[in-house]
Amino acid sequence: MNPLSSIAYRLNVDLIGRAVLRLERLRGERALRRHGDRPGPLSPPLACSPRLKELISRHYLRGRYASGHRPVAWVTSGGPIEHLQALGYFLIYPENHGAVCGIRRLAQDLCQAAEEAGFSRDICSYARTDIGSVLSGKTPVGRLPRPDLLVCCTNICQTVLYWYQVLAHHFRVPLVLIDTPFLYRPAQPHAVAYVRRQIEEAIPVMERVARRTLAPARLERVLVESKEAVELWMRVLERGKARPSPILAFDEFIHMAPIVEMRGEEDTTAYYRVLLAELDRRVAAGVGALRQEQRRLIWDNLPIWYRVRPLSEHLASRGVALVASSYTNAWGELAPLMDPRQPLDSLARVYLHPILNRSTGDKLRTLAQMVREYQAHGVLLHSDRSCKPYSVGQMDQRERLGRELSVPALLLEADHNDPRSFSEEPAAARLDAFLEMVLS
Amino acid sequence: MNSTIVIPSRRTAIEKRKAAGGKIAAVFPIHYPRALFWAHGLLPVEVWGPPGAERAPAGSHLQAYTCDIVHAGLGFLLSGGLAAADAIVAPHGCDSLQGLGSILLDFIPPAQPVFPFYLPRAAREADIDYFAREIESLSRQLSSVSGRTPSRDELHKAITEDEAADGELERLWERRAELPLDNQTLYALSRARGYLAPQEFCGLARQAQAVAAPAASAKTVVISGVIAEPAAMLSLLDRAGIRVGADDTLCLGRRFYPAGRSDDPYRRMAERILSAPPDSTRGSAIGERGERLLSLCRRAGARGVIFRLVKFCEPEQFYLPALRRALDEANILNLVLETDLAAGLDGPSQTRLEAFLEML
Repeated sequence: MNPLSSIAYRLNVDLIGRAVLRLERLRGERALRRHGDRPGPLSPPLACSPRLKELISRHYLRGRYASGHRPVAWVTSGGPIEHLQALGYFLIYPENHGAVCGIRRLAQDLCQAAEEAGFSRDICSYARTDIGSVLSGKTPVGRLPRPDLLVCCTNICQTVLYWYQVLAHHFRVPLVLIDTPFLYRPAQPHAVAYVRRQIEEAIPVMERVARRTLAPARLERVLVESKEAVELWMRVLERGKARPSPILAFDEFIHMAPIVEMRGEEDTTAYYRVLLAELDRRVAAGVGALRQEQRRLIWDNLPIWYRVRPLSEHLASRGVALVASSYTNAWGELAPLMDPRQPLDSLARVYLHPILNRSTGDKLRTLAQMVREYQAHGVLLHSDRSCKPYSVGQMDQRERLGRELSVPALLLEADHNDPRSFSEEPAAARLDAFLEMVLS
Repeated sequence: MNSTIVIPSRRTAIEKRKAAGGKIAAVFPIHYPRALFWAHGLLPVEVWGPPGAERAPAGSHLQAYTCDIVHAGLGFLLSGGLAAADAIVAPHGCDSLQGLGSILLDFIPPAQPVFPFYLPRAAREADIDYFAREIESLSRQLSSVSGRTPSRDELHKAITEDEAADGELERLWERRAELPLDNQTLYALSRARGYLAPQEFCGLARQAQAVAAPAASAKTVVISGVIAEPAAMLSLLDRAGIRVGADDTLCLGRRFYPAGRSDDPYRRMAERILSAPPDSTRGSAIGERGERLLSLCRRAGARGVIFRLVKFCEPEQFYLPALRRALDEANILNLVLETDLAAGLDGPSQTRLEAFLEML
């Protein structure tokens, strides 16, 4: 640890940054109270939104000053982070950063920067956004800290492995791989044992890079905190079952950031308690995220980050509420598998079972269950050019939803981060035709 | 001189096997333990496409941005191309192949049983242990088709034969410069490893090596990427007097499996696959991939590398910029040809290839 870096961190993050961000939050809350209730189909934004902004901004502010003060790990979004948290790592999730770039409309420029360096336009747009950011130094969050360690878990796709090999080659830092066998069928014991062993064998590498020893008590605290956050997140999502739904999947796409990149931290748990309480108040008062909720849909796959708001407003104008998504559900559904008293065994099971690591048939069952539980009238399947593991299988899933469950489903062709792969007019025409059918 | 080697076609090999009352397993790419199939008395026949396969039936199950090898493979299966197979094996090779295996199990089950298995993406002790158990699990599934449970001795015998065949294949390429084989014949023979019995392949490979000639000087290239197709590309190289001196394709050179070490047959099969040359689909380090490619170029005296890519093949595309940089730094010319399998060597690709060869 560099003393000067630590002083800069304390000054800029803990003193000045904390005060400035708090002030911004208070201003945001006041603005919401005064001007939040605008005419239109959408109810006022959630009152805790400025608190979320403060949480995320503080996270990236910490990242800006982390180098030299804390060890830094870049981790895939489905990766096991509890040991890293317990060792004091600052964590960066390139996919989350990619989403921020997508929302801020910077992703296309960054993708092009990667393409100019020779990367094909056919590879994942998150990867291109991240590589473009690394090569150009451009980011909407000020500065990303250089990683001391890369941790890649294949439970969301194989793409992350190739992507992290590019990062490892660029940064010349160790890469820890947690390889998670894809579950065509229920997990066999040797698959669970394999993941457990890899997590166990990763710990000495994490300790060596951090120059610290893992304290079991600290790990247990992180696990307890992580489990509580995940359970709270699941309860937040379940509030979408209320009619009208107090929250939309579009809101969840934004409010999921802490559960992905800050789970295990006390601030995250505290934030989700606030969010849950607000949703409960909305449910008790019969306040929906839409003023007039007529129909309810489920979303499948990643969001179209550069179209979240327009799509939300378009659906809202038709009285259609997106009440849940298989994507946000992925960070909550595995909560029951977490057991802080058996960290390695339970983490092995948790990280082996995300929706993207389960079969296409299993995903269909998850969607069908969500349709029932959320009383949805249809499903929007985002056919995401950049995400093969999520998208391959959707054509059959759509067909089965219609044929076996009489649930209409639309395949919407797009890309989660690269707007060049999205054709506005054909997509809008297909969506409108689908909505007419759902609304009839 | 090529005409002395008669390489049975895939169809002939299948018909011969069927006529003898044997069973066939159709195997999708990429890595799989061939010896296991032989120990079960099954003929493994690889399905890389094929290039001329009917793709339309796959269109109602796969999006257009799915890799062409998967598209062609599924189209071929759905149009009856794999009707002779008694089992379908779907190794986990990448996200698209994962999807293929999964939808075959869940949504469009063929008449034959489908056996998927997972390939670990590193070669640590944990990976070898896991993969050995995975191969053992695959063996139990294959028993339902073969009606056999191979003994330890039967497994060892099959492994020994398989290692011998791989040894012959690798020797063929090591002696490439002194063998009077044109590129098309050499590839046809090498690819026959994907559907011939090991003994039969060994016989042909030895026959090809029996006629050695003094090393003829020829401009030499290395082919990398996914697969050294279409045949028109090899034919053009032959006509231009260019020798393919080494292969680094996913379909061939990255499956030169060294002999295993372990006494446990399952572990030995796992060791072999996981210690194969660096490979993007197995998540090898980019530096290792680059070193391997440069070493192949040095060994073959190659002045150029042709990357034959298939559209939407992510693993290859991620590694490409660094590999090309390494080649540029070593003053080795390189060309990327990326088309669908069905497209063959289209006009623009042919023009680019001819220009590239002229530069050599």
